[in-house]
Amino acid sequence: MHLELVFLIPLVTGILAFSGPKSFGRPLLVITGVAHLGASVYVWVQRPEAFFSSYFAISPEGLLSLVVISLLFMLISIYATGYLEEHPLASERVFCGSMLLFLSTMTMVTISDHIMVMWIAIEATTLASAPLIYSHRSKKSLEATWKYVLICSVGIALALLGSVLITIAMDVGKVDAPVSFSALTARATDLDAPWLKAAFVFIVVGYGTKMGLAPMHTWLPDAHSEAPAPASALLSGVLLNCAYLGLFKTHALMQAAGLGDFSGMVLMVLGLVSILVAATFIMRQQEYKRLLAYSSVENMGIIALGTGIGGLGAYGAMLCLIHHSLIKSSLFLSSGNILLGYGSRLISKTGNLAGKMPRTCLAFLAGFVGIAGFPPFGLFLGELFIIVAAFRTGHPVFGGILVLSLCVIFAGFANHVIRLAYGPAAQDQDQGRGQDPESSGSTPTPNPTLFQEKATMFWPQYVLLSTSVLLCFWMPETLYKTIAAAVGYTGGGF
Amino acid sequence: MSLLVDTSLSLVLFSVLIALGAGRLPGLIRVVAFQGVVVSMVPLLIGHNLSVGGVAFTVATLVIRGLVIPLAIYVAIRRKAIRQEVEPIVGPHASLLLGLVLIVAATWVGRSFHLPTADHSKLLLPTAISLLVAGMFLLMARRNAIAMVLGYVMLENGIYVVGTTFSARTHHIVEFGILLDVLAGVMIMAILLQHIKLAAGDVDTSLLRSLKD
Repeated sequence: MHLELVFLIPLVTGILAFSGPKSFGRPLLVITGVAHLGASVYVWVQRPEAFFSSYFAISPEGLLSLVVISLLFMLISIYATGYLEEHPLASERVFCGSMLLFLSTMTMVTISDHIMVMWIAIEATTLASAPLIYSHRSKKSLEATWKYVLICSVGIALALLGSVLITIAMDVGKVDAPVSFSALTARATDLDAPWLKAAFVFIVVGYGTKMGLAPMHTWLPDAHSEAPAPASALLSGVLLNCAYLGLFKTHALMQAAGLGDFSGMVLMVLGLVSILVAATFIMRQQEYKRLLAYSSVENMGIIALGTGIGGLGAYGAMLCLIHHSLIKSSLFLSSGNILLGYGSRLISKTGNLAGKMPRTCLAFLAGFVGIAGFPPFGLFLGELFIIVAAFRTGHPVFGGILVLSLCVIFAGFANHVIRLAYGPAAQDQDQGRGQDPESSGSTPTPNPTLFQEKATMFWPQYVLLSTSVLLCFWMPETLYKTIAAAVGYTGGGF
Repeated sequence: MSLLVDTSLSLVLFSVLIALGAGRLPGLIRVVAFQGVVVSMVPLLIGHNLSVGGVAFTVATLVIRGLVIPLAIYVAIRRKAIRQEVEPIVGPHASLLLGLVLIVAATWVGRSFHLPTADHSKLLLPTAISLLVAGMFLLMARRNAIAMVLGYVMLENGIYVVGTTFSARTHHIVEFGILLDVLAGVMIMAILLQHIKLAAGDVDTSLLRSLKD
């Protein structure tokens, strides 16, 4: 078995879902999810060779992302079957096909080694996920999709320019090697430093746009809130990681070239700006899906900050990356239940979630505790390591701002979540909803009294959250080694 | 060869000015198509791509950049009877003046870099910078969504000119992948444009302002 099979499986089933009958879609999602997880585990254990070894290769950070993507997709596909039953989409065939192609392109990102192939795969994720955001076919979702495609395409075009500048750095430095991250990292010191710096700046802007780093994050809250819940969970849970992977590998290259201080400082500043921006918007947020989206901006900021700090911070960033995926996707799935139950995205239209949907409420509250960085969830360890690393490496100001922002974000978040879970239910949403301009059109219009919590619509969240708890207490040796190997480039680990 | 390259690149520089001054969409589309044709021939003119595969790839690039992408946008306009004005935020005269300043600045900046391809052509880097910045400018200073897509295509053309320096380095299949991504991106944008026209009655992006915090 060759490495490429892992992205060819969803590619083939994706095309099948597009061309086959409508009833194919849902079972195909689950089957592909299971098959893909199997293939990913096989890749993790056996480390197969790639057929096109100049384009694809296994890297520790790629492996981590691959397994996270695979696990998340499997669970999300189970949720999606329940969600689609509860809220049928006009174009289910497009939705299922795009989900599968999206999985295929994201998988391709994780195993790309060639710099340009990486770019092709990341741009392809944008294209494959655009139809998902437009699933509801409303004017708002159209606006969100337009913003997403245009801003991300232009942003990623700049990353292409950055990638081209890396090849110029090779020409000027007279480096004759394949244009792949692994080959270049080995010979990084020969690359021309000024061109490499310029390349990094463009790549940070490009992939940073896709990763949702402020101030290039403006598409993110719109796209994540307008997409249907399973798609938002994928967008927020794993797509951001893919863009981060591009950034991480370039940072590792800079580190190897002896320019790590420069790239690290850029990452730290962007990360801190993202955290601050997210804190501002979380405080006065009115919609719960946008609240979660801004929390993603915050977490991506924390991850960028940790990566920039390096060492223990980079190790913490990897932990944050994994646990953010697990927890945030569970939160977005729960938000799908809330949207189906209340028919509105506004926090003020919800309330008494604990009474109406106790199981969803449990998942949502647990997810909130996790995303706020409290034990027993793994994000706690990641954030702790980053804070410790910030003070240890002589960045007390950055560490201080991080701690303060985390407190502010927790306060803002808690305020909204408590309103949602225990606040008085907005009286009879059934009647008010019809005239509410904020919720009309794009939102599903279920009957709140009819919405029953089905097993497929809360178990995936429970599994995601318990995985996060489990990994906090017991990390398998192979996982620890892989993380350590990934951050080894940036001098990470304990 | 170098004379031929510089002549065609100077035409591209001139077309940047026309694009910035253009008031109507069909003209802008033609200019971008022209840039696509010239830009895809540059590697051949420099003498990078003289193998059979290289020539085939150049032809494919030319067809996609010079023909398919502009046609896709043109069809989208025709079919949906979209208004033909570019709806500038910065007017045509100011845009033209900025374009002139841009070209002068790009030439000046381009001279201070020492690119490995400098012996092929002196205008390569100034043209690339001009296309990049002018594309960005169209994205920011036009309200019409189609003009914005054309700005994106122009930006991509500019990156392609920078990329001609590396075409000897990477395989054609990789470059073809990049090209396919760009093509698919423009196609998706064209489809979205039609939906925007249906939903909002116009492609003025100031109508798309309902999502904010």
